[in-house]
Amino acid sequence: MKEETRVPIQSDHDIVTARQRGRTLAQQLGFSNSNLTVIATAISELARNILLYAKKGELTLGIIENNGRQGLSVVARDQGPGIPDINRAMDVGYSTSGSLGLGLPGVRRLMDDFEIVSRVGKGTTVTTAKWKP
Amino acid sequence: MQDADRRTLKERYIVAQREQIAHADEATLQRAYEIGRRAIGDGVGVLELVAMHQEVLEEILREHEASESCVLAVGDAGRFLGESLSSVEMAHRGFQEAVTVLRRLNQMLEEEARRIAHALHDDAGQILVTVHLALQEAASGLPPRSRARLEKVRDLLDEIEKRLRRLSHELRPTVLDDLGLLPALEYLAQGVASRSGIPIVVEGPRTPRLPPAYETALYRVVQEALRNASKHALARRVNIRFSVEPGVICCLVKDDGRGFDVAAAMAPKGERGLGLIGMRERLVAVGGRLAIDSAPGRGTELRITIPWEEHDADSGPSGRRPSDRTTGFTGEWPRPPTPMWRFSTSPCRCSTVSTPRGTFCAAPRGPRRSC
Repeated sequence: MKEETRVPIQSDHDIVTARQRGRTLAQQLGFSNSNLTVIATAISELARNILLYAKKGELTLGIIENNGRQGLSVVARDQGPGIPDINRAMDVGYSTSGSLGLGLPGVRRLMDDFEIVSRVGKGTTVTTAKWKP
Repeated sequence: MQDADRRTLKERYIVAQREQIAHADEATLQRAYEIGRRAIGDGVGVLELVAMHQEVLEEILREHEASESCVLAVGDAGRFLGESLSSVEMAHRGFQEAVTVLRRLNQMLEEEARRIAHALHDDAGQILVTVHLALQEAASGLPPRSRARLEKVRDLLDEIEKRLRRLSHELRPTVLDDLGLLPALEYLAQGVASRSGIPIVVEGPRTPRLPPAYETALYRVVQEALRNASKHALARRVNIRFSVEPGVICCLVKDDGRGFDVAAAMAPKGERGLGLIGMRERLVAVGGRLAIDSAPGRGTELRITIPWEEHDADSGPSGRRPSDRTTGFTGEWPRPPTPMWRFSTSPCRCSTVSTPRGTFCAAPRGPRRSC
């Protein structure tokens, strides 16, 4: 990772900071306006998730490269209670937000890469990336 | 979306937007609607559409030499709109994904049904034949009384075979694959009629084969409709009218059962609506529509329509003369579509009535044993 910035997430205010950093990085990379919104939305959802279930955690934003293609990675980490059944959590209809296509399932659709690792009692890490077209 | 497509879309958007600003009327709004519709079809997202609107609007404002503060304000407002709609974008993508998954699932179920149907028909059928032969062999050395008893067993085996065959045909009728929609519907009607005791009339012209996806969709929707009519509606009679007209395939399923409140059943939480929604979804997947006309105490009429052009199928639609076609035609050409309410006389092949006692021809001279 060439450039990385970490944003602790403990309050609603931190969500704004994370969005701002993400947007700036994405702008540097030359993402289109609609993709800037997509990235900011994914950041919001990931940060909201941390506040909702783990109370605190952090987001790491970074520029990544693969075969000459550039992208933005957004990684959400927390040491919260973890998700007992990830498949269910990703299932539309499991949670209220999920049934509207929001929450983690929504983030999966907005971003190009999406990976979630969770251990009960240890915490959750969601690794996502958006690649430049 | 390809860059070139996006540019074309944007150009059309600019032209239409300029017209809207110059002289707003219903026609310019209709064009906006058409552009949006096209965009959805091309896979453009909600946010992309907002971003395009934004770019175009800023360009137009600059042309009008609007003050810089005005352009900035519009820009800010546009970004605000985009952010507030980004949740709609997520939901929009979710629905697109769900629709794709649902269609794939339908295809998988259809394949699965075909597999089980063939296993029932072929494998189980084979074993029964073997059992028949073994019984025959065993019977040959026995005294007449014992032979009579074995004969009864063979009758039971015949009954099992008949039921297995029917079950297999209902799961995925080979007659649908082999002979087409109308024979398959007649076969289906026979089965439902013999089980439920409800007479079912099937009317329609024998058409050339329709695209397989259409035949499957129509068959499954009628199957579900018959299930509803016999299980929920307590119908005393069901009419199925199937017709192929230039440009459209139409199928009416009408029963005289107790009917239901359509709006309540189709409401998001309506439990009975799932079957109806499934029917509608099957049709939408092939570009078709389902109209439901029903009310408590009034019976139910389902009108299924699928737009259809000649080039959709391997063979032409009914009613066209071979000379209308430029390509070679070798098959038997069907007669022009028979109006649904009139039966042709001879040969007797356009209408059958399935009753618990059997299937009969419903031609004017009828009823007689089915043709």
